[in-house]
Amino acid sequence: MSTERPLRRIAVVGLGNVLLGDDGFGPLAIEMFRSLYECDPKVEILDLGTPGLDLAPYLYDVDLVVIADAVHPREEEGPGTLSVYRDDDLVSSQAQLRVTSHDPGVQESLAQLRLAGHAPSEVIVVGVVPESCGLGKGISLSVLDTCLVAVDTIARLLVERSIECRRRHDPIQRNLWWRSGEHGRGNGFDS
Amino acid sequence: MARISIDPVTRIEGHLRIDVEVDGGKVQKAWASCTMWRGLETILRGRDAREGWVFAQRFCGVCTTVHAIASVRAVEDALQLEIPANAQYIRNLILIAHALHDHIIHFYQLSSLDWVDIATIPKADPARAASIAEGYSNWPGNSRRELEAVQSKVKGMVDSGQLGIFSHGYWGHPAMRLSPELNLILFAHYLQALEFQRKACQIVGVLGGKTPHIQNLAVGGVMNAINLNSLATFNMDRLGMLQSLLQDLIPFVQQAYFVDACLLSASYPEWFRYGRGVANYFAVPDLPTDANATRFDLPGGLIMKGELTSVQPIQNWRDQSFRSSVAEDVTHAWYKGEGAQTPWKGETDPDYTDFQADKKYTWVKAPRYNGQPIQVGPLANVLVGYASGHPLTRKWTDTAFKTISSVHEAGTAAFHLTPEALQSTMGRYLARAIRSAMLSDLALQHWQLLTDNILKGDDTTFNPPQFPSHECEGVGMHEAPRGALSHWVIVDKGAFTNYQAVVPTTWNASPRDEKGVPGPYETSLIANPVVDPIKPLEVLRTVHSFDPCMACACHTFDSSGRAIARVKVL
Repeated sequence: MSTERPLRRIAVVGLGNVLLGDDGFGPLAIEMFRSLYECDPKVEILDLGTPGLDLAPYLYDVDLVVIADAVHPREEEGPGTLSVYRDDDLVSSQAQLRVTSHDPGVQESLAQLRLAGHAPSEVIVVGVVPESCGLGKGISLSVLDTCLVAVDTIARLLVERSIECRRRHDPIQRNLWWRSGEHGRGNGFDS
Repeated sequence: MARISIDPVTRIEGHLRIDVEVDGGKVQKAWASCTMWRGLETILRGRDAREGWVFAQRFCGVCTTVHAIASVRAVEDALQLEIPANAQYIRNLILIAHALHDHIIHFYQLSSLDWVDIATIPKADPARAASIAEGYSNWPGNSRRELEAVQSKVKGMVDSGQLGIFSHGYWGHPAMRLSPELNLILFAHYLQALEFQRKACQIVGVLGGKTPHIQNLAVGGVMNAINLNSLATFNMDRLGMLQSLLQDLIPFVQQAYFVDACLLSASYPEWFRYGRGVANYFAVPDLPTDANATRFDLPGGLIMKGELTSVQPIQNWRDQSFRSSVAEDVTHAWYKGEGAQTPWKGETDPDYTDFQADKKYTWVKAPRYNGQPIQVGPLANVLVGYASGHPLTRKWTDTAFKTISSVHEAGTAAFHLTPEALQSTMGRYLARAIRSAMLSDLALQHWQLLTDNILKGDDTTFNPPQFPSHECEGVGMHEAPRGALSHWVIVDKGAFTNYQAVVPTTWNASPRDEKGVPGPYETSLIANPVVDPIKPLEVLRTVHSFDPCMACACHTFDSSGRAIARVKVL
């Protein structure tokens, strides 16, 4: 696999709050992607949490951005439905029709960057419809199932744009510290 | 009498609803309501006390770092654990960079368009705008060419009728009073601000290993390995990189942002008469300059009833009167029970009743200090510093006053400010800019402290914590961008048995207490003018002056993706 065009700045980012059930889809997808795929070092892989307008600095002068996020369902879409939104979908959606759960942060940040002349040339949202975003709940099964498909979709989107992205033979360890039972031990009081 | 309900008010995290009763063009009564449930702390109960900060920094997507810091400081306080000087300096530099980022974004992206009417920018004369701007500052981004480029972008946007994200603004509102030239200058800096937010994030990233969620903290210090002879660790290259990022960032803060806040102050002098609100203030000491945190570069203190001469210092984080004076009242909040309790015993047991103005109407508890409501934030920080004779606070406050009195663009007489007059809506904006200018100076000082200490041969960054087998309690304080933050923890055998975060927005967005005394947002809105109840721009100016961020004051998830603001005139 080789890059035909000159290397550009690419960001794969996850949005969402890991403490709020399926709202944590974005960060989960980012950790799975990091674990399963190996990318060109020019690809930044970032769990950005819920930055609101603080998103702008992370997309500043980046060429291609792939955002993994929980999204609002369109029409009859059920929990776990995977959708890929491109620039046109994002631009055409007015204030009433939010694409991701973390608007207005996404739309406003992109609009500011556009006006300042530092916006990404391409933005893609890989979105999953959440089932439940309750406090302290884990990811629901429907969203967990879709997460693997979403991760492969991110890889495909990069490869289609001639960006190096290979599935690892041996996945590296995921750091899913927020899922109960997976956090560290050893404070001297373990039972 | 018109009753106006604005929901939501914030453009970032969480939900804030403001209800006001307007009569004779003025607000008579106000209620601040947070419309989402709080309860993030329950997640921390039972967790390993060394890991609390990792969870706490997910309370809010915007104030990540501040909760991480308050959490490790709370556990260190419970253990009475001293941390190495290097760890203090590295943490301080992270906190300063985060605060500068936060203050810049508040001024430009979150609130400047309450004062700046972009629809007039096509009418501006860029040459005149450049000469005005250059008269107050030597910021390179004020050139005529730069301002012409910004004007043509705005023209394109206005001509196409596609205002996009700006379509919600109150353009042409009678309360908008800047000249087209000043509007152009401020909006040019609005766009330039994005680059400097990026620089601030890079500083946090270099020190914290990752941003927005830093990775380098530990109860007991920081995990940055310092070795001047190794390429892989914190070394002179990193220090050099930090210094150069700071040298890029600071001129924007001191020559663009600070000056813009002065220009805005001089152009809207009447806004120093509105929005005073609760005139009790406190700031907690921060930016320690020694390992065991006995000396601080930002002083802490308490001011009651707006009397600066009455300032009482809060000397350090172990201040006993602070610990015994803070209580949270749930009389008007959607929790079971009534009255007030120390955060160490705080419960978070929901009891939702719908919005009932005379009973329970918000998810925010009412924190009180010796029974009194308190206003926190950069204004408290600056007033406490000024009143205690802190040289750096005096230097930048006096510089601001001098700059403001030299402004004559508004066509009004020279405007002379006093520290007492800062207690107002515009005072909160100006104080935030004064604080940012101070923090910029302090960033270089703490970079120097760190560098000197490392060159002296000290490479320690971590003292391992020892957890006793009995229960212990601690408070972690931080003077965060929105004001005094405290995390209150009880640790037993290395795990949390209780965790309460008393956050700045809880102090400021506080509802009425059991005596019916309203909180700072509510009080500050009284007598605020409202020219047009359909477009209550003036209410937003006062509320935005506090930099409201409800995510950590309450629960955060916005599942409905509502429009930016819905104004209902009842």
